[in-house]
Amino acid sequence: MLFKGIAASHGIAIGPAFLLKVEELRHARRTLIDSSESEEEILRFRDAIISVKHDLENIADSMGDVVEGRQILEFLLLLLQDPTIKKEVENKIRCDKVNAEYAVSSTLLDVMDKFNIMKDPYIRERVADVKDVGRRIIEKLTGTEKDALNNLKQPVVLVARDLDPSETAGLKPGQVLAFVTDMGGKTSHTTILARALGIPAVVGLQKITVEIHPQDLIIVDGIHGCVIVNPTEKELSYYAEIREQFQEAESLLQQANPGPALTEDGVRYELAANIELPHEVEMVKSLAADGIGLFRTEFLRLIQEKGENEEDHFDIYNKMALDMLPKPVIIRTYDMGGDKFRTGLNSAREANPFLGYRAVRIGLDRPEEFSIQLRAILRASIHGNIKLMFPMVTHVEQLRSLLDLIKLVKNDLRVKAIPFDENMQVGIMVETPATVIALDLMLPYVDFVSIGTNDLTQYTLAVDRGNPKVAYLYDSFHPAVLRQIDTVVRLCHAQQKWVGVCGSMAANPLAVPLLIGFGVDELSVAPSLIPDVKKMIAVVTTHAAREMAEKSLSIETGLRVRALVHSYVIGKYPEILLDENDWKTGG
Amino acid sequence: MIEKKITVPNKLGIHARPAALIVRAAVEFDCDVWVESPADKVNAKSIMGVMTLAASGGTLITVSAQGDQEETAVETVVEVIRSGFGEEMI
Repeated sequence: MLFKGIAASHGIAIGPAFLLKVEELRHARRTLIDSSESEEEILRFRDAIISVKHDLENIADSMGDVVEGRQILEFLLLLLQDPTIKKEVENKIRCDKVNAEYAVSSTLLDVMDKFNIMKDPYIRERVADVKDVGRRIIEKLTGTEKDALNNLKQPVVLVARDLDPSETAGLKPGQVLAFVTDMGGKTSHTTILARALGIPAVVGLQKITVEIHPQDLIIVDGIHGCVIVNPTEKELSYYAEIREQFQEAESLLQQANPGPALTEDGVRYELAANIELPHEVEMVKSLAADGIGLFRTEFLRLIQEKGENEEDHFDIYNKMALDMLPKPVIIRTYDMGGDKFRTGLNSAREANPFLGYRAVRIGLDRPEEFSIQLRAILRASIHGNIKLMFPMVTHVEQLRSLLDLIKLVKNDLRVKAIPFDENMQVGIMVETPATVIALDLMLPYVDFVSIGTNDLTQYTLAVDRGNPKVAYLYDSFHPAVLRQIDTVVRLCHAQQKWVGVCGSMAANPLAVPLLIGFGVDELSVAPSLIPDVKKMIAVVTTHAAREMAEKSLSIETGLRVRALVHSYVIGKYPEILLDENDWKTGG
Repeated sequence: MIEKKITVPNKLGIHARPAALIVRAAVEFDCDVWVESPADKVNAKSIMGVMTLAASGGTLITVSAQGDQEETAVETVVEVIRSGFGEEMI
């Protein structure tokens, strides 16, 4: 069976499916092999009940004298231990041979249906409680599934509704062959992570989690955005061959140019790497990148189980600085919120998370916690190659407060005689139209800027890139986006500040010539894409790039801009793996 | 097997909170305990069962038990119901 989605990360993978948590009360049905597996599932179910009981009792204890709260929790406990429900679930596991998650969700959905048709409004209201208990049990059950992910015996294709950083932080390369998700687009978290790990991914498949069962054999074609479930012999041998060809091409590319990135006319171009996880530094070094253009520190938060710990931060920053010496490492402070994180920090559900409590807005709201990260960065700056970057700065006041915070931390370090780099460069991300339009007012405070083209596009065009219904409108070649990039470069150079691009445009073969043409000083891309981008830079002459960039500013549509660059690139570099969607549609 | 009939004495009948009180009384006993309305007979230890009974005020219900301490079990549950769950009576 073939499904078509969005090609998010190049490559071909073939392997067994591993389904990671499928939405709360509609859990995928999995048929058990034999009765011994049924008994295992029943034990898993009983363990989950005990564990949820323990959680609820703890919450009840913490409520003290709040009578209403205790009553609700006692009611939840009675539901949890209801003998009728328990029997029904275990019967389903035993007789219907289904997994515990499915048995629990289908049983509780029946109970909810029953409650829903009752006349008594007092009883109907309790439907929410049934749902709550069900969600808690399933969370415990899938929790063990997550553990299973960390103890895999063979590499798998990870299938999920959407991937949350908290689920993927512990993944080791080699464990997962590819990602396949219902949600997401070309710039969603799953995509970024897949590119960082150098594995293929197909996203935006809508309902693939319903179609795939655990252990199904899956072919993931990250070049064309296809997923084949339980392929025929013919499909299998065809793709095995393509996979081999692709891997060969990849390794050729990697061997091709161990030197610096040069344009066709020999101009040295700065090409750095975006990384998410510390171990990627090895790959960055072997690819001879010009440093780390963006270290996303969000993962640190997840590695730290017991709150912020300065030493954990310091150890990682310090090692990275030493490993990369003398090349620069740009550390971006926490960029939580938006689509990236739903942490305990913003427990309330926000109506507009992208316009809400995120990035430095959280940091400035919790300066003491934020200072822990700043201190660690400053301490590691002693090697002289660290630069600090703040995400999502929209107001000059914010920028001033952030710099004041740095000043405070520096003073404290001085008092304690802890050394740091007095001249550590500080920069900001340019991700919103506000930052672009008021950039001349912000530049006097910073040493550099880096354009996050994904967020800039989404905020400029008011398009949620994760929503499949409107994702087609998301277009980084839209005149409004290109003109802003041009503006940013002009404003920066007028004040002798350097400007980089770290969004996904920096690795798009049709965007690279334009960015060079606009005069962007540095590109930063996922490590696995560095060989590709080097090749993209090598076919561009600075003169032609400038001409194309200038011309693009007066073109009406993104589609036509892409066509313009396409005709140039295809002539010079025909074998480039151009994703057709990049120039045929708005994708 | 022991059984006893009683009329639900409170205005709102056996909704969530009263159901919880009945279940909590019943689970104290090892024997099987049931509650029966004209419409259905359910396990008195199952909150879902007692709630779906949806016995309104004035309904005549039967409490029954079988096994160890069956007599005390029926007495205890009937007493909980007779008390009207501390709510307004009919």
